[in-house]
Amino acid sequence: MNWMPYGPRALLFRFAETVGEEALARQRGIVTELQRHPPAGLVEFVPAFTTILLEFDSKVVPEPDQVAEELLERLEAAAQKILPPAPVKEIPVRYDGADLEAMAKAKGMTVEQVCDLHSAPLYNVYMLGFSPGFPYLGDLDPRLHTPRLASPRPKVRAGSVAIGGEHTGIYTVDSPGGWNIIGHTPLRIFDPARGEPNGPDEAMFRLKPGDRVKFVRI
Amino acid sequence: MGEEVFEILEPGPGATLQDGGRVGWRRFGVPPGGAMDAHAAQWANRLLDNKPDAPAVEILLQGAKLKALRDTWIAVTGADAGANVPAWRVARIREGDRVEFPKNHSGVWIYLAVEGGFDGERLLGSASVYARGQLGSRFVRGDVLRRATSARFELPRGVAGRVVDWQERRNYESPSPLRVWRGPQWDLFGAADREQFFEQEWTVSPQSDRVGYRLTGKPLIPSGAQMISEPVLVGSIQIPTDGRPMVIMRDGPTVGGYPKLCLLDDADVSWLAQCRPGVKVRFQLIE
Repeated sequence: MNWMPYGPRALLFRFAETVGEEALARQRGIVTELQRHPPAGLVEFVPAFTTILLEFDSKVVPEPDQVAEELLERLEAAAQKILPPAPVKEIPVRYDGADLEAMAKAKGMTVEQVCDLHSAPLYNVYMLGFSPGFPYLGDLDPRLHTPRLASPRPKVRAGSVAIGGEHTGIYTVDSPGGWNIIGHTPLRIFDPARGEPNGPDEAMFRLKPGDRVKFVRI
Repeated sequence: MGEEVFEILEPGPGATLQDGGRVGWRRFGVPPGGAMDAHAAQWANRLLDNKPDAPAVEILLQGAKLKALRDTWIAVTGADAGANVPAWRVARIREGDRVEFPKNHSGVWIYLAVEGGFDGERLLGSASVYARGQLGSRFVRGDVLRRATSARFELPRGVAGRVVDWQERRNYESPSPLRVWRGPQWDLFGAADREQFFEQEWTVSPQSDRVGYRLTGKPLIPSGAQMISEPVLVGSIQIPTDGRPMVIMRDGPTVGGYPKLCLLDDADVSWLAQCRPGVKVRFQLIE
């Protein structure tokens, strides 16, 4: 693991060199440690595939660089802890996406084969980003890896299940998007209405970093 | 619910409620948001003895019109859009008065604060509207704004009016150099490119919004390295494959895969926010 400063108030720790389940296990260890024993002055943290950002309150930690080495040791120890498996969340999908047929054709497969390959694995939520609650899911069968569309669609509707490069994901709000759409889920992955109107509420987000996802065909 | 205080007659190209932003939700893909020019928004609130991060109306460029539904103290700061009320000082308006922003002369974002602070639905701990992420929505014609009723502002007797000191204001048309820190991928760029970044004047592109400000000029040579997406802070200066810098603003992505040459200092994010398309900016490294 190594670290680098990211401006005057944040540190970026690199806990793995490559994306994968090993990196995710380390990420989960670190996140669990930060939630159970947050370092003094930690404002927020953002985990990604191989890195995690820690942002500090400059009134409490005026020079994050000075606590970085000590933190690195703590996070390294946490990264090595074995955690119980993360919850599995089932997501129903109708495989009726606009790009499904073209994708199957380009790969010399039937639509049926694409659907089977996509719904077979147990995926990991490597990180959330792009839009509120949007899950970056791996590990996608290499036979389904597909580059993003040459020009993004101006509007992809919420609930669209899509493939972008080596990942699959679910659009959480109507937004522009360049991933290949293969299906739709009737579930709301991000639902502002589920939140408490006057306070933070994680219930808005169906999936959390580290969760596992099983697509169920409908 | 607080008291009705304004009706939106015309929202202009984009009026929203913004406060100090939401903290702690970036790991769920929710950017901090908040007033694009935090400096101006905080001054509008301070003039009225509100909390500096109280919700204020953020108005884009020009064209907005509001009607007062009761007598109240207000403060207008930020961009100059020829308002019919004095800016950067407290103003008293009466029921039925209109507050109008007919023509933009400088700056991008105007702030309107009201005594007590505006009342807004708080989602994930903040009243800041993040329309793209479906956390609140932009104002439309006919919307009624409310103010919190807890606080009351009284201008001290014998004082002509509270005014923001001139030193706190800035020329939005020819800004001072913007201060930046080294970014996480600083070392991925060659010395010549870094020099070019700091030596040239960059022009703010019309492709700029609450998500990011694009800059045009002589493009840098993008780093060829393939990056794994990593967390992105507001103020990050990304160099995408076309070599034209993109500065991540308050509604920008929380993760991304472009190399980040620099990080704009937090205070200067507010200054860049007020630079209209066509305005020239320079950067200066904080050593």
